[in-house]
Amino acid sequence: MDAGFDFILYRHGPFSFDLRDELSSMQADGLLELAVKREGYGPTYVPTQFSEMFLERFPKTTARYMKQIRFIADELGDKGVAELERLATAFFIAHRERIASVALRAQRLVELKPHISLPDARFACQQVDSLIERARPFSPREE
Amino acid sequence: MELASRAFEVITKPANVTDEVKGLLPDLGNADALPYWKHVLRMAALCHDIGHLPFSHAAEEELLPKGWTHERLSRLLIESEEMREIWDNMVPPLKPKHIVKLALGARKAKDLQFSRWETILSEIIVGDAFGVDRVDYLLRDSHHTGVAYGKFDHYRLIDELRILPSFEGSTEPSLGINGGGIYSAEALALARYFMFSQVYYHPIRLIYDHHLRDFLTAWLSKGTLLPEGTFPIDIEGHLRTTDDEVNAALRIAASDPEYPGHISARCIMRHCHFKRLYERDPQDAKLNSEPGAAIAMAAKREFGANAVRYSKPKVKNVAIDFPVCGPDGRVQPAISASETLSKLQPTAMEFVFIDPELKAKAKSWLDRNREKILAAAGEQEDEEHETQPKSSNTHVVEPRNAEKG
Repeated sequence: MDAGFDFILYRHGPFSFDLRDELSSMQADGLLELAVKREGYGPTYVPTQFSEMFLERFPKTTARYMKQIRFIADELGDKGVAELERLATAFFIAHRERIASVALRAQRLVELKPHISLPDARFACQQVDSLIERARPFSPREE
Repeated sequence: MELASRAFEVITKPANVTDEVKGLLPDLGNADALPYWKHVLRMAALCHDIGHLPFSHAAEEELLPKGWTHERLSRLLIESEEMREIWDNMVPPLKPKHIVKLALGARKAKDLQFSRWETILSEIIVGDAFGVDRVDYLLRDSHHTGVAYGKFDHYRLIDELRILPSFEGSTEPSLGINGGGIYSAEALALARYFMFSQVYYHPIRLIYDHHLRDFLTAWLSKGTLLPEGTFPIDIEGHLRTTDDEVNAALRIAASDPEYPGHISARCIMRHCHFKRLYERDPQDAKLNSEPGAAIAMAAKREFGANAVRYSKPKVKNVAIDFPVCGPDGRVQPAISASETLSKLQPTAMEFVFIDPELKAKAKSWLDRNREKILAAAGEQEDEEHETQPKSSNTHVVEPRNAEKG
């Protein structure tokens, strides 16, 4: 599903300034807050108590997207910045540049992010292919 | 330009660059390339705001053709034939594309691919954490408005800028600061927070933006100077339209009832602006996510669209995260390193304004109907989200028709 946010390749992989603005807006609305969960690592957005009340006001919208949200949370929720950087950039290349071969995509990933090794890049591309395959049943087009 | 140069000198000073960073950014070790990039950076800083319209941001969104922004106009100028001649005659000649990248940054030049070096240099100008554009406008606006909120020790901050090798497990180099600069970085974040809440998003300043926008809409669309109905996007037209032309038109319009935009011009020139009817209350947001929008809509039904204005300024992310290098060489996120930064919260604001002649009547109407309006609008929200899944951070919802009657 397309959430409508525009992404560009930036530091640590694809980044959406629009999504960041939206998250700031949600923080200002009291729906999210920042919490440092692990020393030395950046903050994580966590839902506030108010957000639960807020979600109760949107039962139809919540039900409509819950499966997709759960899938993403289960697959990516526990990953750190370095791993997400590799996966997100690999996904960005697969999605935007439409290169079929894993080897070519891995090369492209290293070209864009020279601090990532070729074996790590190749593994990230394979992981992304698998993720896309497992996500297929959750696509609105498949439902 | 001066601040950008200073930042460049600091981050490229050999004593401030580790071997690890030099390995990740070959441009840093290339003595021939550095003077070129410093020149590009200085020209990019100089040209960063060259595309601004009269009165800067006040009417940009509504009065430029779709797809156009002041950054796109800046780019048009930087890449123009006339400017190319200037870049070509510099020693060494500068590539306009490099100037565009550094002046606009990755967010506004999405079609261009940035190297890591270019990303870091562009952050010196447009970066959220300590871009010199931000440093400059806070200090300048603070000075010109006569408030102290925007002042902070920017020289200390710039002197502590560093390119840091790793952050949160990634080894991608980023622009950060030495630990000694964290207090200046906190002061910058606080300066920004106060400048937005006390100056840029002050309700009276916001309503004057509305009146100016209303005037410009009427003035431009009625063909007084610019028959297109929007600001011109060709170079000649853009350079022809300055604050002076708008000020002169405002003065004429304010005293001539037949002139396009007369009423808005009069509001501005005679300081008889619309008055605040409603300001967002966090408690109201529990009933409706945009209480101001719900009240503005109801007020328009009651008093007419021309008597009501609604403003929802864009929420500003106040606590920007960036890497900080501690005395032990450990790099950590600023939000972990600074309790002050971790506690800064963005603020949501909404205002509804009313024609001053209707203020008393509207206040009484709102007192009677406020809860009913918010509750009724809140019930509709789930249905609306079903049909419009992506929420919007758009800051102003406003009818284009500005004039009364």
